[in-house]
Amino acid sequence: MSLRRNLRVVRAVAAADIRLTLREPLFAIIGVLIPINFLLLFLLFALSGGQAPVAVVMNDRGPLAEQFVQAMNNSQSFLIHTASPADAEREIRSGSIVAVITVPQDFDAALAAKRRIDLPVEVNNLNVDFTNDIRRAVPLSITSFYADAFPEQVVVTAQESDVQAHDTGYVPYLAVSIVVAGLMLASLLQGSVNTARDYELGTIKELALAPVNRFAVGVGKMLGAAALATASALLLLAVVILPIGVHPLHPLEVLGFGLLIIAAFLALGVLIGTLVRRRQQAIPLSIAAVLPLFFLSGPFGPANWLGDVPGAIAVVSPLTYAIAAFQHAFHGYQTAPQDLTADSIVLAAFTLVTVALTAFVFGRRGARH
Amino acid sequence: MTETAIELIGVTKRFGSLTAIDDLSLRVERGEIFGLLGPNGSGKTTTVNMISGLSRPTSGAITVLGINMLTDPRRIRRSLGTVPQENALYEELTAEANLRFHADLFDIPRQDLDKRITSLLELAQLQERRKSRVSTFSGGMKRRLALVRALLHEPELLYFDEPTLGVDVQSRHALWDRILQLKEHGTTVLITSNYLEEANALCDRLAIIDRGRLVALDSPSNLRRSFGDTVLEMRTRPVPGEEIVRKVRALPGVVSVIASDGSLKVTVEGGADVTGKVVTEVVRWTSLEEIQSREPSLDEVFLSLTGRELRE
Repeated sequence: MSLRRNLRVVRAVAAADIRLTLREPLFAIIGVLIPINFLLLFLLFALSGGQAPVAVVMNDRGPLAEQFVQAMNNSQSFLIHTASPADAEREIRSGSIVAVITVPQDFDAALAAKRRIDLPVEVNNLNVDFTNDIRRAVPLSITSFYADAFPEQVVVTAQESDVQAHDTGYVPYLAVSIVVAGLMLASLLQGSVNTARDYELGTIKELALAPVNRFAVGVGKMLGAAALATASALLLLAVVILPIGVHPLHPLEVLGFGLLIIAAFLALGVLIGTLVRRRQQAIPLSIAAVLPLFFLSGPFGPANWLGDVPGAIAVVSPLTYAIAAFQHAFHGYQTAPQDLTADSIVLAAFTLVTVALTAFVFGRRGARH
Repeated sequence: MTETAIELIGVTKRFGSLTAIDDLSLRVERGEIFGLLGPNGSGKTTTVNMISGLSRPTSGAITVLGINMLTDPRRIRRSLGTVPQENALYEELTAEANLRFHADLFDIPRQDLDKRITSLLELAQLQERRKSRVSTFSGGMKRRLALVRALLHEPELLYFDEPTLGVDVQSRHALWDRILQLKEHGTTVLITSNYLEEANALCDRLAIIDRGRLVALDSPSNLRRSFGDTVLEMRTRPVPGEEIVRKVRALPGVVSVIASDGSLKVTVEGGADVTGKVVTEVVRWTSLEEIQSREPSLDEVFLSLTGRELRE
């Protein structure tokens, strides 16, 4: 079949899908909003889990006591506020803070006299994650305070040299990973829902009985779904860039890899739609596919930090390469052993193989009447 | 050009341990309207799926318009128009958008397309609704539009699944007329139907399949004749008992006897002589209140061949 004829099929299938999607606003809204919801949910999770709320009772207001509290602030592990002993006790009993750290009355005097100081730390050990944060961060704050206040007495200090040109905060790093997961979810939803709709409405027979190349139909369905997936992607990027303030270092990479990521997961969505044939099944399946793959693809750090088994899964997950490419596009560093060319090849190959597989499944199972 | 539109030779289709089609052979000639009849689950859908290339036979050969379906299904689809039972129309698109989409899939040249769409919509009396969404159409209008779409690429072979299922009487006759016109223009039409009246009105020949096997293949009139030439329906008083049924059934020329609801239905073969003997026998034992004589219907033929009603 000629290229012209295939392009006509691709254009027709894509245009029909876009028109149909726009005439079913409920599914369109679901397709756009679920990925945004996903992004906000994870960011809230990251923000709420990042720093432990702690009350400090200042029984001594001397300069060394103030410097110690500053050292705790600098550790980026606490969300500190000062409180009276009564208020602090009420807050920890009511569960609104994780710990109360009391600076004793003779803090400055004891330090000057080189006397031992016992620092009372009351912890609500309800959640071991937060509890361990406190257990780690208080000794670190003491060490840090000592290094600053008494540099001549501290004989061992870390001499840090950085691999990357700049630090990246937990939230900016995670936000980029979540954007990639959002792109995956948006693409999976649009691809699977558009395809399943054809089976549900019986219109798949019009495609199955036409003398067309199945590959062209698959590409047309991907392009049709891409319209709304792209709208969803733009919204995701707007949320990350504007309110969160994570700006891409390489905008062209964002564009190029963004399109590649959308294509890869649209193809997977079309395959899912061809297999399940029902929108009610396609939507939860798309969501269910994203969550485990997201956690196994290095969203919090390079995928090869995950360990043997999760690391092996990460190697075969296309999301790993998508996240690595987007981290480079936003933050400018390489989080994976492979370079950007390898990321591009993996994503493009995944797309082509998935479209071919969809054409094969469609050809085998078809739309029997 | 071959004179055969469709040929199935020894076709068998198995789904696991289930044999859906069992050694089916039949031939549809070019230019005829051919009906495929059978109760639900008889295998007619499986047969049509194989003819249109949506499914492959487990064994056997299928040739459509002289082309081997197994080796070149795409070439066959170019010459095959299909009107599926559920229409397969994009209901949220307009009638015209549906037709243009079909034209793109079948690569119909754009220069004549508008004229062709207008002409077919006029024939189907849908021109005024050209820009309307299909979801606003009645069942009959959707059927007509699905037929227009199937004819847009001028197929040599048209498959029409349940042509008038769910349409009103007026639309039904309009569709029948259109199908008969297609035959006049040389198009081969394959229909599957649950309406024997429809099969009788349209089809040159009928194949009746049951449990995946061909049980009869002939013209509607020959099929009726093979069942007997006259059906006598008699209302008697008292109600005919087992004894009368047994005696009538024993008469020469009697094909079948059914007693139900106070009446006796007797199918006979052999003309007035046999009919007279049946009536004489019945009035010997009971009082005849009403009698009607008519030709056998296809329903009766179907029932006698398959032991089942068509729409069970």
